[in-house]
Amino acid sequence: MAREYPWRRRAGWWLQNRRYLAFQLRELGGVVSAIYGLIFLNLLRTLRAGESAYTAFVDMMRTPPILYVNLVLFALLVWHAVTWFMLIGKSQPIQFTERPLPWRAVFGVNVLLWIGVSGAVVYLIFGGF
Amino acid sequence: MAGRDVVFRVKRYRPESGGKPAYQDYRIPYRDDMVVLDGLNYIKDHVDPTLTYRWSCRMGICGSCGANVNGTPRLTCGTYIRDVHKGTVTVDPLANFPILKDLVVDFDDFLTKLASVTPYIVREESGDLSKEFVQYPEEVEAYRQQSLCINCMLCYAACPVFGASPEFIGPAASALALRYIRDTRDEGADQRLARLNTKSGIWECTFVGECSVVCPKDVDPAAAIQTLKFLATMRHMRRLLMPGAPSR
Amino acid sequence: MGEELGATRESLAYNPGRETVHADQKAGEPEVFLEPLLWGLFSLGGFITAFLFPITVFLLFVAPSFGLWPSDPAAYATFAAHYREPLVRVFFFALIGGSLFHGTHRLKFMLVDAGLRGPGIEAALDIILNAIAIVGTLGALYYAVRGWLFA
Repeated sequence: MAREYPWRRRAGWWLQNRRYLAFQLRELGGVVSAIYGLIFLNLLRTLRAGESAYTAFVDMMRTPPILYVNLVLFALLVWHAVTWFMLIGKSQPIQFTERPLPWRAVFGVNVLLWIGVSGAVVYLIFGGF
Repeated sequence: MAGRDVVFRVKRYRPESGGKPAYQDYRIPYRDDMVVLDGLNYIKDHVDPTLTYRWSCRMGICGSCGANVNGTPRLTCGTYIRDVHKGTVTVDPLANFPILKDLVVDFDDFLTKLASVTPYIVREESGDLSKEFVQYPEEVEAYRQQSLCINCMLCYAACPVFGASPEFIGPAASALALRYIRDTRDEGADQRLARLNTKSGIWECTFVGECSVVCPKDVDPAAAIQTLKFLATMRHMRRLLMPGAPSR
Repeated sequence: MGEELGATRESLAYNPGRETVHADQKAGEPEVFLEPLLWGLFSLGGFITAFLFPITVFLLFVAPSFGLWPSDPAAYATFAAHYREPLVRVFFFALIGGSLFHGTHRLKFMLVDAGLRGPGIEAALDIILNAIAIVGTLGALYYAVRGWLFA
């Protein structure tokens, strides 16, 4: 007869508190990025195939219900990005100074950097407005 | 503020009588200055002497009174009843560990994991040990945070990865590995990183981060593990690209 | 009441469903080879994903549909013209490769966490998911250099 009582984790453990749920959504956002990786790959494939294939694919991505799926996935991507910036300062303490910078400072710098990089993408990759 | 009651819903497990763990309710009086451990001691002294739990210092440094209070791993000596109860305080043994009796869990597993990262200063035997080893304040600062760990294992109870995978080396043992790796007196980084770069090592961690949330000493084991992943990857790359070079 | 008091430690450790693992039994556990490399790619991909993805998805698939942008960056003529530039090709190569290595790594651990564990299953997951990442990255490389380095 067992004397110790064994532990079993509940299947829905990530619904147990808000932080676990935030974590699970962040992980999902990471997976979503790979889905968009495949979507971009297909975008390049249709670009190669010609205007009609390309336009058909882009139109499909913008037609409901896929449009709404896009919105949800986009929200997950943004959440993934924001949490990533929050965690960088914790996982790789930046040590320009004698003591590592607090993670909030690193988060702030990262968000500013994010805005800057996004602006650069708008101009360098997509040719501005 | 006399005359107030609180219900303690405590998980009981008596291995000698068989059966599964089950809750038992105790209604006890409490004051605002009582912590959950005081409530358990009241039950033991006045209501039910068979209730079994660990405690020692009552001041948050011995690390033995951890339990899941209302589902969250806490030191019962540092958790005021007034802060956690909504009529009922639910006390479970620390999650993720096998239960020995009532609130007492088996943590042999943790101790052997801890031992596996050599949580002490490792020196080359040929070195000169007769001289004083000077350490500057900023060098102490580099490992001070992780050195505050009191081995209370709340981080293990909070870790869903450990909950699903008992082999996982887990938060505290990893944090203490980093504590010695960052110590300028230590020369054991290579053997620790070798231990951590295994199937049961740091790679299973998905940075849930709850270990650092529940840590009563702000050791931040979640961040420590990510730093260790970075160090282990750098060591791995060095060994791949420069096979002859020393690992550190 | 199957056991006498004073039964040995071994009987106490009997624990169906969750074996009590002792790390000393794991001394000399072999180091893993791929995990650090995959984690390195995962991290790199994480930076790429976090910094570059939201704006790109917003411009291509979200903003034009809701009239949030003056022009349509995904219109064929516009996009095809931009895609002739090497910088844009490198950008999409990094985007696709980084996100695939990042996302498949996350997916693996989500699946392991959901219960797909065990040496055989995890090895199969590693092979399938990394194959997707590698093939996708090679595909991105092909579309990046085709029409630039060769016709």
